[in-house]
This record gives sequence, C-alpha cells and structure tokens, in this order.
Amino acid sequence: MTATAHKLCMIGDFGVGKTSLVSRFVHSTFSEKYLTTIGVKVDSKEVALAGRAPCKLVLWDIAGKSHLDALNMTYLRGASALLLVADGTRERSLHAALNLLMQSRTLLPDAAIVLAVNKLDLVEQWEVAPAALNELRRTLPVHETSARSGEGVEAVFADIATRLTS
Amino acid sequence: MTALDFGSVPERVELYLRELFWQRVNPLLLCFDAGWELRDVRGDAAHYGLDGNDPGQGVQTLRDLFIGLPLHEPQDVPFVELANGRSAHLHLIPDGDIFYVLMLDADTERDRRRVQQQLGHEEALASQAKTKAIGQLKQIRSELERQHSRLEEAHALKNALIATLSHEFRTPLTSIFGYLQLAERRAGDEPAMREALHAVRRNASYLFTLAENLLEYGRGESTAPLLNPTPVDLESLTRDLDAMFRPLAEEKGLEFRVALKLDEVAEPVFDEIRLRQILVNLLSNAVRYTRRGEVTAEIVWRAQTLGIDITDTGIGIAAAHRDGVFVPFNRGGHAGSKGAGLGLSIVKRMVEQMHGTLAFDSEVGRGSSFRVMLPRARERPAAHADDAIAPRFWLQGRSILVADDDSDVAHLLEALLGDLGFRVRVVADAQSAVLEAMAGRPDVLLIDVELSGLSGNAAVYKLRSRGYKGRIVTLSATATAEAREAALRAGADHYLTKPLNVEQFVHVMQQAASTGWSGENHEPDDA
Repeated sequence: MTATAHKLCMIGDFGVGKTSLVSRFVHSTFSEKYLTTIGVKVDSKEVALAGRAPCKLVLWDIAGKSHLDALNMTYLRGASALLLVADGTRERSLHAALNLLMQSRTLLPDAAIVLAVNKLDLVEQWEVAPAALNELRRTLPVHETSARSGEGVEAVFADIATRLTS
Repeated sequence: MTALDFGSVPERVELYLRELFWQRVNPLLLCFDAGWELRDVRGDAAHYGLDGNDPGQGVQTLRDLFIGLPLHEPQDVPFVELANGRSAHLHLIPDGDIFYVLMLDADTERDRRRVQQQLGHEEALASQAKTKAIGQLKQIRSELERQHSRLEEAHALKNALIATLSHEFRTPLTSIFGYLQLAERRAGDEPAMREALHAVRRNASYLFTLAENLLEYGRGESTAPLLNPTPVDLESLTRDLDAMFRPLAEEKGLEFRVALKLDEVAEPVFDEIRLRQILVNLLSNAVRYTRRGEVTAEIVWRAQTLGIDITDTGIGIAAAHRDGVFVPFNRGGHAGSKGAGLGLSIVKRMVEQMHGTLAFDSEVGRGSSFRVMLPRARERPAAHADDAIAPRFWLQGRSILVADDDSDVAHLLEALLGDLGFRVRVVADAQSAVLEAMAGRPDVLLIDVELSGLSGNAAVYKLRSRGYKGRIVTLSATATAEAREAALRAGADHYLTKPLNVEQFVHVMQQAASTGWSGENHEPDDA
C-alpha cells in the first residue's frame, strides 16, 4: 500500500534541536556540533502504525526563529502538521514555541500540532518546570525528547502520525 | 538619468549579464504534466543531486516539496537544502496543462547567510549561557551563605552537646564533694588517708570548674544570655569559697584570705551561678598559678555594685600574652600551665552578660590582680524552653515502588523497607518506574538517579510534568549540593545519598509515607 504523504513543519527557536530530532528520527544519528539551518531542509520517513495505513512524514526542518516571518510563512503553506520544538534548558525557547503556535494557528487552523521539549538528557539543567508542562498538556500534546539519546523521539513522530491518520 | 532595462542595455553587456547569471544560478528546468510525469529536463541535473542519466528518480523528492500547494499557481520556495547538501531556490511555474520546476543554485548566498547567522546564534547562546552562569554564581553564593548558617547551627549544636554533657557532670560532682567532706571529717589524723582525700578533692575541684566552664562555653557567645537574678547570700557564698580553696591553697603552702565588706543596705541581686563561677574561675587560676606567697579575695557590696578583687603573688602574665588572656582555649598566658584555657574567657563573657567590667594588672614573677565590678541586677523570672515533640508515623501497609538497576541495592532496599512495614515493588529501569507509578500510584516512589538509559531525574521530571502527585525520594551516589538541587528541581521531594545512612533513610521514608498522596503541597523537604 502506498503511504500517504503529509507535510510536517518543524518550528522553534534556534538551537533547540529541530535538525537533530530529524537526524535522530530519519538517520538514527546525532552530532554534538551546532550548525544553523538556512531556509529549510526537507527529509522524509515512513511511519508504520499498527492497524492503520502507512503514513509518510515529509519533514520540513525550518530555520529557527522565535517568531514567524514572511519566509517561514511561505514554508508553512500546505502543512498538515506542526511540530513545535523547545529546549528544556532555555525557558524562553518554550515561550518562543508558544508564540509560534499562536502565529501559525491562523495560517494552519486544521493542522495537527504537537510540542516536543527537547534535551531531556540535560534534565538537570532544565529551566522549564515540570508543572509548566503539566499545565500545557491540558491544551497541547507534549513530549519530552532527547535527540542525543533518542528518548521520546519515535514517540513524538508516532503521535503526530497517529493524529494525521485518525 | 535614463532607466536601465533589458531593452536599453547594449548587446555586449546583455550577453555578459546572461553569462554571469547563468553561471551563478546554474538553472535546471524540469517540465511535468499535471500527474507529475517528467516530460523534459534541461540543465545540469547532477548539480542538484539528480541522476544525470535518469533524473526521473528524484521526482518523488521534488513532489514532496510541493505537497499541499496548488500546482496551478506559481510557487516560490527559497533556500531548500537538497539531499546532496546543496541549497536551491525552487520555483513552480504553471503553463496550461503542464508546469515547470525551475531550480536555481543558492549555495553561495546560503553559505554567506549561514556564516552570519551562525555567528549571531552562537553569540546569543553564549550570552544566554553567560546570564545563566551569573545566576548560578549567585546561587553558589547563596548556597555558601546557607552553608555558613548551617555551620553556625552545627556550632550551636556542638555547644548544646557540651552544655548537656557538662550539666550531667555537675550532679555527681556535687555528690562527690558532699561525701568528701564527710570522709575528711571521719578520716581523723590518718596522714595517708588525709593526703589521699586531699588529692581527690583537688582533682574533683578541677573537674568541677572544668564542667562549669564547659557548661558556660556551651551556651554559646551568640546566644542571648538567660540570666536568672536572685537575692544572693554573700556571706554564705564567701564561706563556700573559703571552704573550697583554703585547703588547696594551704596544701601548696600559700596564705589564703577571703574578705567580705557589706556597705550597702539593699539586698544584693545577681545571677548566683554566674557570680559563683566568676569567683571560682578567678580563684582557681590564682591558686593554680601561685607557687608561693598568697592569694586574697576581697568582695565589697557597696553603692548597688559588687566589687571583686582577686590578687595573687603568682607567676604573672607576660605583656605579650595580655591580649590573648580572654581568648577561649588560649593557654599562652600562663606558660606550662594545665587546664582547658576557658576560665578567663568565660569570666569575661559572664561579666559582660551581667553588664559589669573586668580589668587586670599583672607582672611576670610578681603576680596578678583581677578586678570585677558588677551592678545589681533586677529580679526576673526564668525563661522556659519549648519542648519539641518528635512525630511518629505508622507505615504498616503503605506501598512503595523502588527503581534501582543494581540488584544488590534493590534487595537491600526491599529488605529495609519491608522491615519498616512497606509493601514493596521493585523495577529495574526508569521507564517502567514511570509507567508503574502512574498506574499503581504507590505512596512513595524511591528511585535511583544514576539509572542506565533514562535517568532517575528524567523519570521524576516526566512524572511531575504529567501531574503525578505522589511522594518521590531520589537516591544518588553524588553527594553535592548541585546534584541535590537538580533532583529537587526535577520534582523529587527528598534527596538521599549513598552509602545509605539508615537512620536518615528511615526518617525520610517515614516523612514521605506520612504525607503520601494526601499531601498536595510538593515543596521539597530537606533530607
């Protein structure tokens, strides 16, 4: 069966680990070196879900920004899902993710939206309090992830795929 | 000035521009029908990572780039990083039943932007890290301050311990003195017996002074003195001093005199224990450091003030040691002396507590003279300390989930917790701990921080970020304030370190189990 392709845009402040999450998910690799993304990098992976048709996620890894500019708006067009990414060690990156959520809602009112709070391997340095995420969970699916260790990475993409195919 | 457009550019310049543009953007044009069937390819396909011989193979990738976008409208997707690492601007140009995809090289522009952006981002990250580091430094400072106050607490605890111990000395010593008097009276003229009893009295007297001094020292300098002023029978006090020191002085062949002058009709009111101790300490020193000659004490009650003069013809105190005479545990004042070196420092402290003055003169080889003036105190009821009531908890039937990947430690914890009355369940990894805790809601979760895979702290964080309200105790081999702080920040209520201090462990478990799920407040407690 041919997998249905869905455009998934990854947005979040710079340095939160969007590219690393894609590398971990698609290529099972991780690099310690930070290399800023210019424009967009597109990758894809098929996700098999039990009892459902296979789903192909076309991942748009968009350059990090704390707000949506005209260029990012261009990239978001046609997306079925948004993965907001924040860095648990930088609380302001969570604020940026929520800001991006507000901005993108008007552009993509029907998109499935999930939040990944990345760098769980550095949980000892997290500024984001557990209570804050507990509160956010009331309105938004939230996953703690670590692109470095792989913790929670499959789960967050599987969650999106499930939402896209249900 | 004439406008510059294609029509007005000289042919040679136009040609130059075309070549330049072509060279820089290296265009690739692909023509598709409405069903994404490739009709035509023009340009360097390999430059964009497409197979030059079979560019159709990369069509799917191109197709993915236009998912969700209407193909009958022009589309412009700038700076797309391609599979071969190159960057391209992608344009979709509809033309009736067909459409074109035009790819223009954006490598140079991407690289230029990347350098700028990378610098900017790294600078911003460094600045955030700097702000955080400053915050951490502030935290370290306040931690140091906390430790300082903990040290002060420990100091106070030590003083309390000394006070308790020395207090315990006093009762038996009092009894020893009483029986000594009795024994001396009955010993008659038996010289060996008298000598033995003198030796016992001398040493008991020294012990008594030491115990009294320790008691006072243990009260601590920072503690506000609890004075207990009562009317003092100065005549009785003088008799006691005479009875206590005359035998010691005479034994050394010293002349000993204690004189009392009462020139004031008002009743003398002082904290009697302190007054007695001032006199005992000064006389004890005088007798101890005088080899020949005399020791005299003159006590004068006059004009609402008690004057005390203790004079001896002893070894004296060198000028170099005068400043250190009142420093605790300083024995430099009397060379070769025995004793704890507390006596004079305590005299000074007590005189100050009683709002009096203390002065002394001394000359090496000729003796010393100490002068104390104490104003009459006002009577006041003694204060009472509150008794702390230790809480007791009943753990029978409480449930606990233990997460530790070291089976030996897990068994030990299971046994200890079983003895405490807990129903224990053990898991070996953090992921299971999260699942079991959410499902089973144990009264307490005891989790090792250094678990392989997902760390204990990450598991605690995940639980708390899902609203888990149960009590969590983390166990770690890292005994640092930072590690403890990190665990509590992740959501633990208590932080214990290995090797286990069993008493503390039991205490923490009792505390955790006593609040359990009923406690909505998750402010971490000190453990």
